[in-house]
Amino acid sequence: MRRTSTLSITLGELARIQPLAGAESHLADPSRKVEQVVLAETFDRLRRCTPHVLVVLHDEAATGGWSLAAALHLAWERNLSAVVVSRTVAGGASVALAERLHMSLIVIDDDPIDIALQLAGQVSAPAAARALRQARLAEQLAEQTGIRGVLGVLNRELQHVPVALVVGGVVVAGQSAALTDRPQVRQLEVEVHAPGERSAARLIAAVPLPGPAAVDQVESLLRLARPSLQAAWAQSRLDTATRAAHEQAAFGLLRRLPQASSGEAAEIEVPAWTSELGWQVGEANRAVWLAPLRPSGEPPAEITYLIRASWQRGHSTWPLVAEGDGWISWHSGTDPDDVTALRRALAGFRDSAVAHRLAIGIGRAHPGVGGLMRSVAEARLAAHVAREGGPGAVQWFDQVGANAALAWLPTTEIAQVADLCLEDLMAAKDRAALVQTVLAVLDSGGSLSQASQRLGVHRNTVLARLARARQLGLTYEEPGQRLALHVLCYALTSLWSETGTEHAQPA
Amino acid sequence: MSGPAGYIGASASITAEDVPALYEGAKFYSPAVGDANRSSITSWLAGLLDRNGPVPLLRVEAVAPETPCVSVCVLGSGSAMADLPPAGDEFEMAVRQIERLQRVEFGAVYPLAAATISALVAVVTAAQLRVPLLDADGMGRTFALIHHTAMHLSGVSPTPLAAVGPTGESVLVEVPAGPRADRMLRANVDTVGGWAALAAYPTTAGVLRRAALPGTVSRIANVGRLLLDRTDPDVLVTRLGTITGCRRLARGRIAELEHLSRPSDVTIPAHPSSLVVEETGGLGRQLRIELRSEIVAVFADGALIAGAPDLIGLLDVSRGVLATLDSLEPGDLVDVLVTPADAVWYSPRGMEMVGMASHGIPLAHPRRR
Repeated sequence: MRRTSTLSITLGELARIQPLAGAESHLADPSRKVEQVVLAETFDRLRRCTPHVLVVLHDEAATGGWSLAAALHLAWERNLSAVVVSRTVAGGASVALAERLHMSLIVIDDDPIDIALQLAGQVSAPAAARALRQARLAEQLAEQTGIRGVLGVLNRELQHVPVALVVGGVVVAGQSAALTDRPQVRQLEVEVHAPGERSAARLIAAVPLPGPAAVDQVESLLRLARPSLQAAWAQSRLDTATRAAHEQAAFGLLRRLPQASSGEAAEIEVPAWTSELGWQVGEANRAVWLAPLRPSGEPPAEITYLIRASWQRGHSTWPLVAEGDGWISWHSGTDPDDVTALRRALAGFRDSAVAHRLAIGIGRAHPGVGGLMRSVAEARLAAHVAREGGPGAVQWFDQVGANAALAWLPTTEIAQVADLCLEDLMAAKDRAALVQTVLAVLDSGGSLSQASQRLGVHRNTVLARLARARQLGLTYEEPGQRLALHVLCYALTSLWSETGTEHAQPA
Repeated sequence: MSGPAGYIGASASITAEDVPALYEGAKFYSPAVGDANRSSITSWLAGLLDRNGPVPLLRVEAVAPETPCVSVCVLGSGSAMADLPPAGDEFEMAVRQIERLQRVEFGAVYPLAAATISALVAVVTAAQLRVPLLDADGMGRTFALIHHTAMHLSGVSPTPLAAVGPTGESVLVEVPAGPRADRMLRANVDTVGGWAALAAYPTTAGVLRRAALPGTVSRIANVGRLLLDRTDPDVLVTRLGTITGCRRLARGRIAELEHLSRPSDVTIPAHPSSLVVEETGGLGRQLRIELRSEIVAVFADGALIAGAPDLIGLLDVSRGVLATLDSLEPGDLVDVLVTPADAVWYSPRGMEMVGMASHGIPLAHPRRR
């Protein structure tokens, strides 16, 4: 037998089940225990009540507003738990008086005698009443299909006990008040495993102490909510196509938020619907951009599905949003420098990245929605830089710097320009070596020795190649053309090295 | 007025100048009554006193013990009296009927209740009969039924009594048990015009010395003078306290008027309702004032703090006048005043007759807890 069965039922619990569930309750203190129910016909009977009694007024004791006022005063004097009275007697002033005396008042529409009998039964068998309440809660939970709905039911049922669903220290749904440490409050945790997940979510409830029967009661109610949560989760995973579209739309919406808000420094509140998708936008958001080496427009849904399957393995709350020519994901946490989870995920994803020929860019950690968007832009840049490293390459934005600009050069188009403007050069057989040499000299700021060192050829060879390049139109020494030629050389070199078509032959 | 209000005294008399004060004082002791027939009754009485001269006001002890005396009052509703005003001879006729029946000539008249119009009609009757008015009455305020008197408690029978309506018709009642008289009369009041002039409790001054409540007529005159003075409400309450023992329970704003808070009682002819007043200042209590034909109980935060037979009245603070119960509106600022009734009403028999239980409130009176 659990300990709960011997504890008195509380007013809050009674008010949640029939017959009082349908009544108009003005509860001063829902955690007040109810030890006995008294049907009071006279004021004498009221005067003889002992503390923690719930009194149902009837007959002489319920003849008018004055009788209710007098009964409320007596109830206050006798430290009774609550006064139950028929609606014909209770007016607005009576409710005000009850509030003033801090006395719970419950207004009923049914026959007071029937109500008193039912309540007496419930109070004498608190375990049965609690079971009734749990059954009612289970019914309500079963009706919920969303995570927010489930948390809503829990928070509504457990008045004065905030409940939150937490994943990795971040509140996904419910009331974040559950997490704050307060005196006289005990935190209760129930783990919720999503199917096939390593990382678990936790339901956390802050139960005020001393609250009669609270801790055990709350725990069993939280356990009741577990299957509904798991089902809600599974449901949201089930239809990936819908989910992908949903996430894409949601991300678009999220992106527009910082633009919509006028104040630049103004903190943008994280919209509640993000939690429904399982997203977290925390204090430190670090974006990840998964980009195909050869972008070819919008990726097909099947690829998105595969990428999602491998990326979200073990990180079900990490989003995956198909965006332009890649996928956006992000990791949220409280510590901006904590990248262990991300590194582990990247390591796990490496094989898939190679298989799908993906390069990965990672932004820096920034707070809030605006910070997330900034991190996304950084990650995208880093991903472009990462493309140079081949499939599976990972580039952290912190290490990119201004070089990132080069990653954006449309090398193919620039190479076509070279075909037109430098016809002689492009026709030469040794064009690759010439271009590479000019690039090396320009990169080295005109230093021939450095360039020869970098190319691994003799200084004279460099000189000879430069002379030939000049003849063919690579007049790199002219200041007006230097930048254009430098970019051209860079584009040609990177294009040829990428395609592997040209190989600079050492002379 | 200079100095504390003094007792008018045995040798004093009531003149036309005293009529407004008498009217106001009578209203203080019957706060439920409206002002419907104020001008007609006061001008009638003032005219009478001008023509017939002042009416002597005598203490009961100042009258020979064997002097036959009779009480008069208005029976029925005040508004009916405003609709169908007296022809003028009703009270005289009622007294004459009992004189004929008992073959006596009354040497003095006294009011059945020194409150409401009944206090004034006693002066009218005395002026018409050219006999002195006794400075005494049977209630010291108003109660609902005609056997709710100190005389009844002392064993004086209300009958034979005569009731004369404005139609000129009359009813003569004789009953062995006093309480039956009221029932028989009420059945007839509607028929004779909605109200009736009542002459009752024929007895002698000697009996009245122990059976009536002394000094109550001069008291309403003194109270009336204070009320006419129109001073600051706080000063007024203090002054009233010295004469009547009244005190302020609380000052507050009317928050709610609840009507028909319980099924109407058949014995008391009034609709129950209640008044919720939020105390301003002090403890900020919620006062609930229960109304029947009068204010019968005051609860502060649900605790009974005053109740019948206490005389409970409301003073309209903004205007400095007594508030009649039919003029109340939410938002009015009122002082709730309680005046102790005469001691006889707090005796067990008195409480049984006019206490809160008679109004359907089965709680112990705050004075007896």
